[in-house]
Amino acid sequence: MKRVLLASIAACVAMLPAGSLRAQESIKVGVLVSYSGMTSLGGQQTDAAIKLFQSKYGDAPGGHKIELIRRDTTGPNPEVAKRLVQEAVTRDKVQILLGPDFTPNTLAAAPIVTEAKVPTFVIGAATTGIIGEKSPYLTRTFFATPQLCKPLAPYAVKNNWKNVFVMVADFAPGHDCEKIFIDALKEAGGTLAGNLRIPTRNPEFSAYTQRIKDAKPDAVFIFMPLGELSLGSLRAMSDSGLKAAGVKIMGTGDITDESYVDAVGDAALDVITTGMYSTQHNSAMNKEFVAEYTKLNGASPRMGWGAIAAWDALRLVYDGLEAQKGAKFDPDKFMAFVRGRTFESPRGPITIDKGNGDIVQNVYIRRTEKVNGVLQNVEIETLANQSFK
Amino acid sequence: MTSIATVLFNGVAYGMLLFIMSVGLSVTLGMMNFVNLAQASFSMFGGYIVVLVVQRLGLPFLVSLPIAFIIVGLFSIVIERLVFRHFYGTDDLTQVLLTIGLVFMSISTASYFFGGTYQRIDMPAWLSGQRDIFGLTLERYRIFIVVSGAILSLVLILGLERTKLGGMVRACVDNPRAANGCGLNTQMIFAVTFAIGGGLAGLGGALSANLLGIDPNFPLRYLVYLLIIVSVGGMGTIGGTLIAAVTLGVADVAGKYYFPSFGGFVIYAITIAVMLWRPRGLLGRTA
Repeated sequence: MKRVLLASIAACVAMLPAGSLRAQESIKVGVLVSYSGMTSLGGQQTDAAIKLFQSKYGDAPGGHKIELIRRDTTGPNPEVAKRLVQEAVTRDKVQILLGPDFTPNTLAAAPIVTEAKVPTFVIGAATTGIIGEKSPYLTRTFFATPQLCKPLAPYAVKNNWKNVFVMVADFAPGHDCEKIFIDALKEAGGTLAGNLRIPTRNPEFSAYTQRIKDAKPDAVFIFMPLGELSLGSLRAMSDSGLKAAGVKIMGTGDITDESYVDAVGDAALDVITTGMYSTQHNSAMNKEFVAEYTKLNGASPRMGWGAIAAWDALRLVYDGLEAQKGAKFDPDKFMAFVRGRTFESPRGPITIDKGNGDIVQNVYIRRTEKVNGVLQNVEIETLANQSFK
Repeated sequence: MTSIATVLFNGVAYGMLLFIMSVGLSVTLGMMNFVNLAQASFSMFGGYIVVLVVQRLGLPFLVSLPIAFIIVGLFSIVIERLVFRHFYGTDDLTQVLLTIGLVFMSISTASYFFGGTYQRIDMPAWLSGQRDIFGLTLERYRIFIVVSGAILSLVLILGLERTKLGGMVRACVDNPRAANGCGLNTQMIFAVTFAIGGGLAGLGGALSANLLGIDPNFPLRYLVYLLIIVSVGGMGTIGGTLIAAVTLGVADVAGKYYFPSFGGFVIYAITIAVMLWRPRGLLGRTA
């Protein structure tokens, strides 16, 4: 059924060349992601996904010509994000928003998009307590922290790695994930070997690896933001000999993100992670997606989660506008259409929860392996329809 | 017992890493009295040279180290002749603004040529993994860092502080007119010293690339550590930089090991304490 629907939508779009459409109001879509500084990879991936989507499906879904308005959030800067959202809404008259990325930015945007009734797709913030709570116009195509932080606890216990050490970055999402994992671990019957919070600026891990060694755990669970902490912690697990001594290394998929796993090198091998998307996902749709993405944007930098989140947000934008064909854009009808929607994405089936607006999706347990000489996150187990709670 | 010894060793190794990274800044800042924050960018440049030499050209890691030293050293002469020499007499704030601007330019340049992501550097087998020494299991790369740091400090102390060149540099900085009058080619000496400082920064980046990861934001991430080491050690003394780096390295690792909940704070607490006690640093010269 889903497939038929998708195919028919695609067929509709294909049959209507942009030029022959009846002139209708254009829709302004704001894209607020970070294009500069150390988080610029996110913006690059968002743009790459948009480029591919529009080359495939045109730029006028349902006769509404899409006008993209791009702004640079520069990273997790709520005051910048707030100003950008305000400008986008009042001056540029943006009707739909992708972003802003990062939790603090999303929180800053929530009251504005509520007042202005701008449907907003969260494509780069994972914290709980935003979607469905801060604004009825927020929805998410990224992931929610519990989806990635919970599953490895029962998985570890099931594999007889019962005594687990928990190491998180010392910032709000880290504390969130730490609590979720430890609760799930206790519920599954595992024991906590110890836990550590790592300063967000930390080039040196040897003191921490020594503590982990002293605790003699079966496994270590790691949550770190994308970037040098992920790189450093995985290198440290390997360099200190913990991994060689048979301690299992696990974590959320951030630590082996495709965009820098090559730099981690062999230290990433055999690391077990949770993820909502891997370019290795085995489906015809994903194979086509990856091939086309790589063809259009080049093989480097490698595709990460920023791209898939933007891709699925656009899928919803296009389908929602298609549904309002010939009518004036109505944000409430649009949100009603998006909520409760289920569709097939390159990452697998996803549903936008009807009551809450957050995402329900498959979570995959992956092992980092070399596929044709390249480090990849290979999915080894599927946990279907994981809740955002 | 073994864990105490391992922590101590790891602390010394971390200290040596900090020393290797900051000694270039110590030379330019201390000996030439020039606040060059772009030293951190020179380090990044050294790191990228390792990436190019090892990953693209396939040459051994050890070969890439002198190449990084020489290329970054030559490059810093070019920058010195084109930009820095016009700012020797200016106040600290001007120099800080100028060089932090260069840091941002270097970040964009690296991003343009190499992309925003981290670079992969494959270490040779003899530098990865662990090795048992005196009953301790130590990381090979850390042993390598400690040995390189020791050699480097010996060479620098004997070669820069105890030689005629060192004396000439001091003379040129303290009183350029008199030095010029005594027949010293001040321009030449400044350029050479600058090249040595830059080259050392490049070498530091090359040695630390494997542990810290190389990406365009490298300079901003580690600049604060460089400044801490140089100011705690006292500007212009290589011995002071070494003592500061090793002390802070050991304190940082031991603090994080014994008091993990606030261990990350130790390095800053010591810095503040030293600055209050001796504002010119541990071995700083009084003007």
